[in-house]
Amino acid sequence: MSKPARWTRGHHWVFLVLVLLLASRPRLGFCADQLQTIQARGELLWGADAEGGAPYVYPDPQKPEQMTGFECDLAAALAAKLGVKPRMVQNQWDQLLPALDRGNFDIILNGLEITADNQQHAAMSRPYYVYAQQIVTRKDFAGPTNLDGLKGKTVGVLASSAAQRLLQNAGGIEVKSYPGNVESFLDLKAGRIDIAMLDLPIALFYAKPDPALKFSGGPFAPGYYGIGVRKEDATLLAAINQALGQLIRDGALERIYRQHGLWDDRQAMLASYKPETVTQRKSISTLREWPKYLPLLLRGAVTTVTLSVLGMMLAVAAGLAVALARLYGPLPLRWMAQAYVEVVRGTPLLIQLFLIYYGLPQIGLRLNAFLAGVLGLGLNYAANEAENYRAGIQSIPKGQTEAALALGMSGPQVLRRVVLPQALRVVIPPVTNDFIAMFKDSSIVSVITMVELTKVYGELATSTYDYIGLGLMTAGIYFALSYPASLFANWLERSRSYDRR
Amino acid sequence: MIVVENLIKSYNATRVLHGVDHSQKRGEAVVLIGPSGCGKSTFLRCLNQLELADAGRITIGDVTITGGGAPRSAEERARQQRLRLRAGMVFQSFNLFPHLTVLRNITEAPTVVKKIPRQEAEAAARALLAKIGLEHKAGAYPAQLSGGQQQRVAIARALAMEPEVMLFDEPTSALDPELRDEVLRVMRQLAEEGMTMIVVTHEMQFARDMADTILFFEGGRVLESGSPEQIFTAPAHERTRDFLKRAIMR
Repeated sequence: MSKPARWTRGHHWVFLVLVLLLASRPRLGFCADQLQTIQARGELLWGADAEGGAPYVYPDPQKPEQMTGFECDLAAALAAKLGVKPRMVQNQWDQLLPALDRGNFDIILNGLEITADNQQHAAMSRPYYVYAQQIVTRKDFAGPTNLDGLKGKTVGVLASSAAQRLLQNAGGIEVKSYPGNVESFLDLKAGRIDIAMLDLPIALFYAKPDPALKFSGGPFAPGYYGIGVRKEDATLLAAINQALGQLIRDGALERIYRQHGLWDDRQAMLASYKPETVTQRKSISTLREWPKYLPLLLRGAVTTVTLSVLGMMLAVAAGLAVALARLYGPLPLRWMAQAYVEVVRGTPLLIQLFLIYYGLPQIGLRLNAFLAGVLGLGLNYAANEAENYRAGIQSIPKGQTEAALALGMSGPQVLRRVVLPQALRVVIPPVTNDFIAMFKDSSIVSVITMVELTKVYGELATSTYDYIGLGLMTAGIYFALSYPASLFANWLERSRSYDRR
Repeated sequence: MIVVENLIKSYNATRVLHGVDHSQKRGEAVVLIGPSGCGKSTFLRCLNQLELADAGRITIGDVTITGGGAPRSAEERARQQRLRLRAGMVFQSFNLFPHLTVLRNITEAPTVVKKIPRQEAEAAARALLAKIGLEHKAGAYPAQLSGGQQQRVAIARALAMEPEVMLFDEPTSALDPELRDEVLRVMRQLAEEGMTMIVVTHEMQFARDMADTILFFEGGRVLESGSPEQIFTAPAHERTRDFLKRAIMR
């Protein structure tokens, strides 16, 4: 009972937020035994990420509405042993542990490694697969064949995977983390990176059949995949361990793996596994240790600011060009400008970023992540800015243009000397709003491997498990940066108001 | 100085100018009167190409534009601009540039269009401001001026381009009665100095006092023209008489 006492000292508000969160979370069978709950429900809910999830669990190419993969088969076998049906719950891979804790599903069955780190947050079953690391390069690239050879190189990995931890612990290796299994291979083929390191099953499925890629050296650094269960669900864990033991002994597991081309000699280790005892570390309060975490977040914030400032500069310039083309250009140009605005506004920024980053290399245009991010944000917002300018220009009374023409000014002179200066003041408020919106929207570029503020938050939160403390710090940084921007905009608007006495 | 021959203008199906002819000597002050919607303003706006006529011929000084429609070649565009530079325009709603000071309103076109050095343009602008009695407002913004002051600045702005003709499109209609006199005084002074002017107005007293010639417009035609004496005391047309009776009763 000493822990709550520690919390209340100077942390009333954090405690309050925590209580609210605990009170509101929809945990299934919080008090009852989870195994009974599952059997009463008749379904085993297993959490996994099917996006780029082959060969673990992924949409069947022949029947895309149905899932396939060796973990899919394993889940079915496991559920059958428990006397229920399996049901997969889709969840982003690097957020599986927090989602398990929230009660979104009963177990994690998705390549979760049995490591001390993971065991801090969940109880792990006995292993169901022995994986190893595989280095993959382009066919023509003479790359390193083992861990030592990776020193000083840039290596693409799956975010929060065993490979990422292995490389980070080895030191001296620049790690580029990707949100899914496929993206690192895409960047490898696009030539943005030379080396990727992934769990063997992923490499076997995606890289082995690809003529442009090759395995560099053999598999190394074996480890275990296990099933994650909430720590309090002891009877469920025991039932799962018993079921897995039966599947291993009666050869059902081997049959599944052979069917998927994943059986190898290492799997013999499954039968003789002895769990290691794990010492519990005490939970981390990042707020208490803010000098350690704040600089990491601030470094991400620098990227966020650079991205959004450059993106907005592009948007403001390109938007003006589009607006002028739409208002004054010759007919075909006018149509093109209008089409640009409608298409860009009518499609998600995420898709546009994927097209620019992963799509353009396929037609020979390779941009680095930063450039692709600036371009994506800038060109997307250019459509909004063009509409702002158009509204601003059209709000200037016709008499202004007539007076300037009567004085002998040419069309472009009228625009530059009379119409635009007045229109610019009209568009200051909406453009500032857009800038602040882009500042926050810029977090989306993490999908193309940019490590900006939100991404740093995500990475730190998954490793420290302190979503609240880091979240408050991160939100504080966003606010501290966007609030002055809106103050500046107010000032700018006021200093430009020539129509007040 | 100004010759207009057979000017025709329609908006869609509605014809607003039915072949207007007009000629005017240098230094002559002409006032256009007539009921609303009779084509006075359209005629004036055709003269400096804010409206493009469908057909006819316009000559101001040494520039002639024949035919209608938008200029199609660089040469036609240049001729249109030269015609505009011959004529200065003053609008009913002033149309000062709100984002520029009074001084910049006046110097903008000379520096941008005629490439006159800023210092020179500013000296000329200050002289014009002194003439209209607003030299102390050089640094003010239009929104800080009264309507009468704004219209006087608009006159100075047009004069800064040194036009040969000044066109006034109902310059006092948007002003309160007590502010009209200061604008009319400036216009009268210009007429006395020998400026060639065409004024569209409803100010009958002003027309009578300062016009050399009055044109009575109706239905897109010049119904009659003559000296103020002639028009005000012995109009040839019944319609002119009716109009004047109503205008003076007001």
